[in-house]
Amino acid sequence: MRALRTTLLLSICSLMLISCADVRAWERGYLAREEMAWDPDALESSLNDHIFFSKEASSGGNSAAGGGCGCN
Amino acid sequence: MKNSASRSIIALSSTALALPGIALADAPPTQSTISYKLSNYQEDDLSRAEAPFGELERYDIDVHQFQLVSPLGRNMSLHVDANYESLSGASPWFTSLGLDGEPIVNLSGPSGISDRRTELSIGSRYYLQNGSFAANIGYSQENDYQSVYFGLNAEKHYNNDLTTVSAGLSYSSDEIFPTDAALFNRVIDEDKQSTSVFVSVSQIINQVSSFQSAFSLTEQSGFLSDPYKLRDVRPDDKTQIAWSNSYRRFFVAADAALHVNYRYYHDDFGISSHTSDLSWHQNLGRTFQLVPQLRYYSQSAADFFTNVDDFLNPTSEYQSSDYRLSAFGAVSGGFSLIADMGSWKATLTAERYLANDKYSAFDVSQPSTALVKYNRVSLGIDFQF
Repeated sequence: MRALRTTLLLSICSLMLISCADVRAWERGYLAREEMAWDPDALESSLNDHIFFSKEASSGGNSAAGGGCGCN
Repeated sequence: MKNSASRSIIALSSTALALPGIALADAPPTQSTISYKLSNYQEDDLSRAEAPFGELERYDIDVHQFQLVSPLGRNMSLHVDANYESLSGASPWFTSLGLDGEPIVNLSGPSGISDRRTELSIGSRYYLQNGSFAANIGYSQENDYQSVYFGLNAEKHYNNDLTTVSAGLSYSSDEIFPTDAALFNRVIDEDKQSTSVFVSVSQIINQVSSFQSAFSLTEQSGFLSDPYKLRDVRPDDKTQIAWSNSYRRFFVAADAALHVNYRYYHDDFGISSHTSDLSWHQNLGRTFQLVPQLRYYSQSAADFFTNVDDFLNPTSEYQSSDYRLSAFGAVSGGFSLIADMGSWKATLTAERYLANDKYSAFDVSQPSTALVKYNRVSLGIDFQF
């Protein structure tokens, strides 16, 4: 478990240390595509979060929590 | 809130604060989009070995989601989210030892549970040259639960819009008033509050890939126990942290995008978790897209979790047999098929979720008896005008 966690953390840190190219605005066509968005389908991801929140103990990460509920 | 049902609001209410893509600097929408999604998910029945007495049938849940995103003047957008959810079935009431000495679960009453939830959230985003501000307010009502909440969010672009920093906060005030409180000696009327903050950094790596790292801190206080369980006593405050990382890469030759996400979570109930998911967004011509996805989740147990309720314990001692506080792992997989016909878009999604203590990446000293398996089917429609 510790090895898995260390590997994941190292992988993430490595990605963060990748030198980033100077991508001009007109070179961002692929990045601008809908399927490249962090959240291409807002209803789908909110539904998933909604279900997982009610089945699992974890929540949060990339947004503030918003409203509360009594189911978890 | 009848019982520990799946009626969470946090995820749905955060829709209006969801981070936009960072590929290009923000701009207000030029068209309005109205979206509707109908979903059904059904939990598998328990086996007689798990629940020798009473009901076996668990929740069957329908969810209706509506969303309107519309331009508001030249520099603003309007976001309206409405959700309606109905559920029926039974959920774990208490646990005990079976005749063979193994833990068994007892589900709630023979007629099961039937409940509805409605929610409305309204928000707006104001766009500047190098960033934006957003705010939303929301209200949710159930037979025995209500929540009022608001959120604020700001983001700013740096480095020729290659880097985006975003931060936000939210607050919710909730009230719990269980049904049949006098009959079952439940609490009459309790409240809880939740405050949450987050910060994220997004970075364009090159012409085809980007990365985002985000950290959130949530503080809950008030009544955090489950009033519908026969014995459930939890601390009255909880601090949660979550660290999320997301990577996107477009493969030009394949005309497809890869999504990789990982989240580490920890709270002072003693629970830690890892969540990772992968999805592959494969374009099929100009109209269709197929998105297979796979997710793995694992959590450790809360310090006070027990898989057999001890009714001899004084009620001042923390104790819960809620399966969501146990150590377990869960694997889920599915696909979405998307048809994009210009102004109209339709999305069909199917998913299977399997939770099992054997899938856990953490030590399991007390396996839970009521872990969930379910199937989900969703159909979504988007219309731009």
